[in-house]
Amino acid sequence: MNPVISRLILKDWRLHRRLIIACSLTGIGALALVRFGNESARLFGAVWFFVALIVLGAMLPSTAILNERKKQTLAFLMSLPVSSLHYTIAKITSLWTMFLLPWLALLVAAVLFVNASHTIPHGVIPMLIILAMLPVLGFSLIASATLVGESEGWLMGASLLCNSSYWFVWYLLSRIPSLTDHWGDSLPVWNTAARTVLSAELSVIVLIVAVTLFLQSRKRDFI
Amino acid sequence: MKEYATDAAIEMHGVSKHYRYFTLDNISLKLPRGQIMGLIGANGAGKSTTIRILMGLVHHDSGHVQVLGHNMPAQQVAAKWNIGFVSEDMRLYDSMTLGWHIDFIRSIYPNWDAAYAQQLLKRFGLRSEQKMKGLSHGQRVKAALLLVLARKPELLVLDEPTTGLDPVARHEVLRELTNVMADEGRSILFSSHNTQDVEQISDQITFIDRGRIIDSMDKERYLDRWRRLRLEVPRGVDLPALPGIIGIRRDGSLAVATSNAFEPELASAYESTGVHVRRVENMTLEEIFIANVEHSRDEVEA
Repeated sequence: MNPVISRLILKDWRLHRRLIIACSLTGIGALALVRFGNESARLFGAVWFFVALIVLGAMLPSTAILNERKKQTLAFLMSLPVSSLHYTIAKITSLWTMFLLPWLALLVAAVLFVNASHTIPHGVIPMLIILAMLPVLGFSLIASATLVGESEGWLMGASLLCNSSYWFVWYLLSRIPSLTDHWGDSLPVWNTAARTVLSAELSVIVLIVAVTLFLQSRKRDFI
Repeated sequence: MKEYATDAAIEMHGVSKHYRYFTLDNISLKLPRGQIMGLIGANGAGKSTTIRILMGLVHHDSGHVQVLGHNMPAQQVAAKWNIGFVSEDMRLYDSMTLGWHIDFIRSIYPNWDAAYAQQLLKRFGLRSEQKMKGLSHGQRVKAALLLVLARKPELLVLDEPTTGLDPVARHEVLRELTNVMADEGRSILFSSHNTQDVEQISDQITFIDRGRIIDSMDKERYLDRWRRLRLEVPRGVDLPALPGIIGIRRDGSLAVATSNAFEPELASAYESTGVHVRRVENMTLEEIFIANVEHSRDEVEA
């Protein structure tokens, strides 16, 4: 692997650490509300937990991809010994790690909170994971659209599509009885419906990343 | 792609690139190692597109491009290890300091010369703890130059680096580029629409206009071959069309002829036809550039 790729990844981590920390702290604060707050605070915390992930997923592509074009730092990066495909690999890797690590940490914390809770039934854990995958899906779509489209229009379009779809998809998922029937169970139930939805989410994410790499590798003009 | 064995730093053969409203047409140029080439053209002439093709950032539609013996864009990674690229519209990260940028570049290039970087910091009046957003345009250009010079690249590709600089900053930048050339193995491609800057440091000069190379040769040959002849044409004498004259402006009995292949015999030839040569004047590079562009456009439109 080209050693410059790892430098570009570290550079992105350094540049975006404040955003990652801010969103992670917001997520942790939201979980604390869910864990220790009254009923309305719990609802507020649950919403803010997802808002933190959604904001991180929308902000990272904007600051890490689009700003490099708008602020003309891309020419500086492309003067380094990398090809456009190397840049894309570095960018996808840094974006995904910058998003996935806080996401995973928050998800693990959320599952641990639920596990430790006596009032929240553990049967909600599969649904929690399925719902937490939606911001990942949205992030992958926004990041790919921004990377391939190279413009604010693509970023705005993808963000609008994702942000307006979350609530609708949540509603649709909540209407699947085989997913909701086990919410009140004392143990998580990974039935066929839960596994199918999770597999579908993962497949779409893999497909989006593969299409992004393919389209980027065919670009003839990078700047 | 065809392989070339060459000692040229840059070699382009028949390179074309088509856009909707602009075409880079059949570009061929060669920069031998150890030389400075000035690429002069008006805004929108195709300088930046040519340079982006050289850097592998834009893929050409046809032709061949080799930089430091590497085919572009396929071998751009290998080539870029030894290319220092600075363009007028290139920016560094506003929120980070110059020191952070130096550490970033040093972590990539093993031949980073820390002592030289310190010298350049002093010479350019920069401080490593300064954030980029607090720097003036001139300081930003000098910072970008520092980042490429201290890694000692074999080839410097500079796209309008002096545009927008004040005279002092321009002088500092040009002086440093001249110093760089003390190392004989290094080469520079320098694009600008400022002919004075190019004339000051270049060995070779290439004129580009409307996506085509209209002329390319040694700077001294340009200055030797181009002359302006002030003529007096007596009544009843026809002004002859002599070889080497590419343009004539006439005002009554007075005429100004521009030659791109001047020889002393040219003046004698005029005199022999009865035309009196009042004066033969040297031309500046800017005058040569403008005359060249006008001649080229006339030829295309004819």
